[in-house]
Amino acid sequence: MVTGWVMRALVSAHAVAIFGQPVFAGIYLSGDYDALRWHAAGANVVTSIGYVQLIAAIVVWVRLRQAWPFAATLALVAAETVQYFAGMDGALWLHLPLGVLTIVALAVLFIAVWRQPLKQAVQQAVQQPVLRPAPREENADA
Amino acid sequence: MPERNMTRRRVLGIGGTLGAMAVTGLATSAKLSRRPAATGAQLRSAVPLPPPYQVPLPIPAVVKPVDTSAGVDRYQITQRETTLEILPGVTTSAWTYGGTFPGPTIESRRGRPVTVTHRNELPVPTVVHLHGGHTPAASDGYPTDLVMPGGWQQTPHTMAGMGGMSDPRAVTSRLTRDYTFPLDQRPTLLWYHDHRMDFTAPAIWRGLAGLHIIRDDTEEALGLPAGPRELPLMITDRAFDEHGELTYPALDGTLRKRPGVREAYLGGVFGDVILVNGAPWPLHEVDAARYRLRVLNASNARHYDLQAVTDDGRRLDLVQIGADQGLLAAPVTHPNLPIAPAERYDLIIDFAKIPVGGRVRIINRLGSGRTREVMAFHVARKATDHSRVPRVLSHDLPTWRRSDAARVRDLSFRAGRMHGRHGWLINGKPFAPARTDLTARLGDTEVWRLIADVHHPIHLHLVGFRVLSRGGKAPLPHDAGLKDTVSLRPGEAAEIITRFDGYRGRYLFHCHNAEHEDMGMMANLEVI
Repeated sequence: MVTGWVMRALVSAHAVAIFGQPVFAGIYLSGDYDALRWHAAGANVVTSIGYVQLIAAIVVWVRLRQAWPFAATLALVAAETVQYFAGMDGALWLHLPLGVLTIVALAVLFIAVWRQPLKQAVQQAVQQPVLRPAPREENADA
Repeated sequence: MPERNMTRRRVLGIGGTLGAMAVTGLATSAKLSRRPAATGAQLRSAVPLPPPYQVPLPIPAVVKPVDTSAGVDRYQITQRETTLEILPGVTTSAWTYGGTFPGPTIESRRGRPVTVTHRNELPVPTVVHLHGGHTPAASDGYPTDLVMPGGWQQTPHTMAGMGGMSDPRAVTSRLTRDYTFPLDQRPTLLWYHDHRMDFTAPAIWRGLAGLHIIRDDTEEALGLPAGPRELPLMITDRAFDEHGELTYPALDGTLRKRPGVREAYLGGVFGDVILVNGAPWPLHEVDAARYRLRVLNASNARHYDLQAVTDDGRRLDLVQIGADQGLLAAPVTHPNLPIAPAERYDLIIDFAKIPVGGRVRIINRLGSGRTREVMAFHVARKATDHSRVPRVLSHDLPTWRRSDAARVRDLSFRAGRMHGRHGWLINGKPFAPARTDLTARLGDTEVWRLIADVHHPIHLHLVGFRVLSRGGKAPLPHDAGLKDTVSLRPGEAAEIITRFDGYRGRYLFHCHNAEHEDMGMMANLEVI
């Protein structure tokens, strides 16, 4: 249960951080030099959360027997790493579309982890009838 | 209530679709984007182009003063239309300073004033700016300080360009104007070119550009290669139509009323013929010795990344000894050297190890096809070489520090709308002569933080500056020394530091992509 919530928290923080990136980039290109530093700091934050999330995803995999959060996070972290260096190199042809894709991917992951508790998703496949109360439980949590 | 029964198949389907979209998007970007990035569009010549390295490299003639009395060198230059043979066997009409392209070179001494009387016999108004000159505002060639040709009817302030705005401070004249340059500045290679409001780019394209060198005893005492072993190299790109005339995508081919270029060329105009000193892909015979190359990129929009390579594929170092505004503190060795429009580099290249009969090509790593070639040197003979490249070149570079800055300014250079058309803006505004954009106090040090959307080579009139940082990191090796033009790459920012010295008055700063400059990317700097 805790593991699932940690994953949710990390993915949420990750999503918040990554939404800052186009914002800072836009402010920077509007002529505010300081926003370049924010964009760089944001890149550090986003990438760092990504790596922590990767560790959490490994724990999810081990404890909850769910591999997909790890696979998704690994792909995301790989994209963010490429994105980081594309930005540093000024390779905008890659940096812009990859940035959009990374945000889309993280938004999808955000929906996936909040859609249903990670813990119960496993059981769902095995013993579906028991799962009926699950959505109510989720709503109660929120 | 969420869908509880997503089948594995559906998940794979959605995932696969998203994945395919991602791959397609990135692959499209990789395929279609310009790598390396380039800002501009290329014209294609309609005449057969000559093979490279056939035409000898011309050296622009040094113009003689008409008078040297009273401590001032006086020159007269007539701006006139003429016919040139730029491509072998092809005649091309051009607008020239004194009948040649490049125009005549002015050789001057530090601190000895030069007065140039320019006479305008062209069909349009002109104004001359000495790029890199530390010049009083009255002679700095402000874009509305026009010299009208004999029969010109329109009043300059109500010309159609820039929304027909007026400039009450414009000082115009008819037929001639004297420009006085004190030249109390570090020795370097400057260049003069037309700076007419709205029409600078096509005027330079038609040939209005020339070199101006400042020397002094200190520099001459260094023992750098000199005389025939010092070569000015003005690099430009042009394109020719089926009649051999220069082609340019101007909206108004007469360059009288309507400024601007066709939509496709808003980013800048590239030619497909590379000229050095006005000759296509020229060849120069050299001794097996050191040479001093004084390189200027006088192209409207094209950037080059220069590299010297031998025919067996070896690379020759380019040793930079000077920047836009004179000698560096110490030489910097470059394997290749990017150069943006209006930038200059003072380079040493050593042909001593090249066997007689060998060839060294200067290539442009940013080019493709014919624009990858620039010029070549043919090593014709062995020779003694008494030149040297001292490890210390100068002691007089300014040492401005951030803490000296009275002000820090953020300036954005980006695309936008102007007068209902696409244009180029500085801090969101297109150029307006009558609007003061920035005011700086004489003697103040300022830090400017420049931010670009695409390539913008940013030039300040009046002063030189030093590059403090690029993209928040240390400057690049070629940012060394004192500069007057800094090349920003797409999405890039640079911090520069300068001191507003010498003269009060209305000056400009602008993008030196000449098309961008004509389409709004220029602003007023009032030094008070």
